[in-house]
Amino acid sequence: MTAATPAPLLEVRDLHVEFRTRDGIAKAVNGVNYRVAEGETLAVLGESGSGKSVTAQAVMGILDMPPGRITGGEIVFQGRDLLQLREDERQKVRGREMAMIFQDALSALNPVLSVGEQLGEMFVVHRGMSRKDAKNKAVELMDRVRIPAARERVGQFPHQFSGGMRQRIMIAMALALEPSLIIADEPTTALDVTVQAQVMDLLAELRRELDMGLILITHDLGVVADVADKIAVMYAGRIVESAPVHDIYKAPAHPYTKGLLESIPRLDQKGQELYAIKGLPPNLVRIPPGCAFHPRCPLARDVCRTDVPPLYDVPDGRGSACHFWQEALHG
Amino acid sequence: MAEAILEVRGLHKHYPLTRGVVFRKQVGAVRAVDGVDLDLVAGETLGIVGESGCGKSTLAKLLVQLERPTAGVIRYKGEDITKLSGRALKAVRRNIQMVFQDPYTSLNPRMTVGDIIGEPYEIHPEVAPRGSRRQKVQDLLHVVGLNPEYINRYPHQFSGGQRQRIGIARGLALQPEIIVADEPVSALDVSVQAQVINLLDKLQQDFSLSYVFIAHDLSIVRHISDRVGVMYLGRIVETGKDAEIYDHPTHPYTQALLSAVPVPDPTAREHRERVLLSGDVPSPANIPSGCRFRTRCWKARERCATEVPLLAVPAVFRGEESPAAHDSACHFAEAKRVVPAEGA
Repeated sequence: MTAATPAPLLEVRDLHVEFRTRDGIAKAVNGVNYRVAEGETLAVLGESGSGKSVTAQAVMGILDMPPGRITGGEIVFQGRDLLQLREDERQKVRGREMAMIFQDALSALNPVLSVGEQLGEMFVVHRGMSRKDAKNKAVELMDRVRIPAARERVGQFPHQFSGGMRQRIMIAMALALEPSLIIADEPTTALDVTVQAQVMDLLAELRRELDMGLILITHDLGVVADVADKIAVMYAGRIVESAPVHDIYKAPAHPYTKGLLESIPRLDQKGQELYAIKGLPPNLVRIPPGCAFHPRCPLARDVCRTDVPPLYDVPDGRGSACHFWQEALHG
Repeated sequence: MAEAILEVRGLHKHYPLTRGVVFRKQVGAVRAVDGVDLDLVAGETLGIVGESGCGKSTLAKLLVQLERPTAGVIRYKGEDITKLSGRALKAVRRNIQMVFQDPYTSLNPRMTVGDIIGEPYEIHPEVAPRGSRRQKVQDLLHVVGLNPEYINRYPHQFSGGQRQRIGIARGLALQPEIIVADEPVSALDVSVQAQVINLLDKLQQDFSLSYVFIAHDLSIVRHISDRVGVMYLGRIVETGKDAEIYDHPTHPYTQALLSAVPVPDPTAREHRERVLLSGDVPSPANIPSGCRFRTRCWKARERCATEVPLLAVPAVFRGEESPAAHDSACHFAEAKRVVPAEGA
């Protein structure tokens, strides 16, 4: 456990992001707040369209604008609001201070450059190193992420590596300049389970070694349980529940989290019928009024259809955006 | 065991690798399916798990005869369907239908839902006379939990989960006995996944279907299957009842696979033993000699490089009544619990 809240490394305050689409304005992020301390792992959990990746892209400053637009909020990183920085200042933060690992390594890497050139580029651009030194650095990094025969493979191209090895290269690239924050967006979703385990272990170990903050974006409740310190669950562009990792699995305080936990089959037990959250995630152009989850919620009452629930304080430093969190927690 | 509705023996599918354009010659083969034996009993669900490239999707295509095998037999009610063609094959296919993985690419975007679900009736008009088809399609929509009024809509007007329901309705149209489902829920969000799994469960009971359920997600396979086969590089390496495989695995690959699955329970991370495999799966064009898993196995010895282990109850457990006594293709099989018991 980390000591009582030191100054956070990153604090996202009331972030709003919209996208212009053919059907109207899609409200992808609607007032997200989260903080990550140094050396802490925050898992952001959500289904597709929950806004988990968009939030991360806004933090990294790689949101496609247009059609995207940040309509409000602050992203305070090491004491500075990133949204107030000029693009060239932002550029310096990216890569050096925070880096991102993407889901699909094959499309995130440049197919016509060798992996050595791509890894070395970090050092040439940010550190002004010579090509030769940069190449040595690249080999060093590949060793560090345990790619066998790094010196021989440094000149190879991304397609010559397997999926797991490519994801290691992505990790190496993110770690190159030893940033203080890593954002990993579904880093193992495209990988097989045995390879996923190798990659997650590596990521967790390097994070510990370098004492970095990590934001892990995922839809997989299993991966979260393995590595996270705390969790933020997102639904329709909002955080609906936040808590230390142990508490949320033991006693979720939001009916959506509860539904998610009950709807996954377990490896260690054979259940009868699975609990299924009824209905579908909302269309972001027409988010339901009041609590966005109310059409699918077993606890929904009149107030849920009209009043947007704030993130209520739940004992032990948790939060739940449900008018009836007590019922969800104890019921 | 009850009689098998589908028996597979020594099934192989090799794709030739050729070199040269004019003087084309075969220089090797991708052995996608390389000697699979399995039985499907009427009314049960047989789960097949494996990682990408293990040949599980090729196996699915062979079972519905979308691909013809290089060798081996598939007997449906005693009749070898790999030798059938023309009318006889068509008659068998009616009884063995498939549900595909990707609900975005397996539905024709230019056809209405009614046409998609009703298309099987064009091929097998004896199942539904022309006049009754619309009604049949609407009944099917109702069965899979969609509004029958959506019959004239197009696939893009539906969400992923709804599209998968359309794919399932199409699979049910001919009232088959067997459904081969290849990763039917892996493209869906967690909350929607549960809905589709429950639907598959319900349909099995209502129509007494037999399923071959192919997936990479071990938790889902356990939930839905009565028996499970674990596939590695074109072969089934271990098979048994779900509790035998999950609670008493004896093949090292199964043990590694199970121990790698993240369990949604943070208390488990302290006292859970991880078996981490080194390296990647070898190419199916170049399968190791002897035991195909030996290159990644921590138990491998000389014998493993020379002698192919057979899929049978290992000698150490033979004659025992223990749940570890099930088929496992390993010379040095031993029982090892890798998934902690519930509440442990």
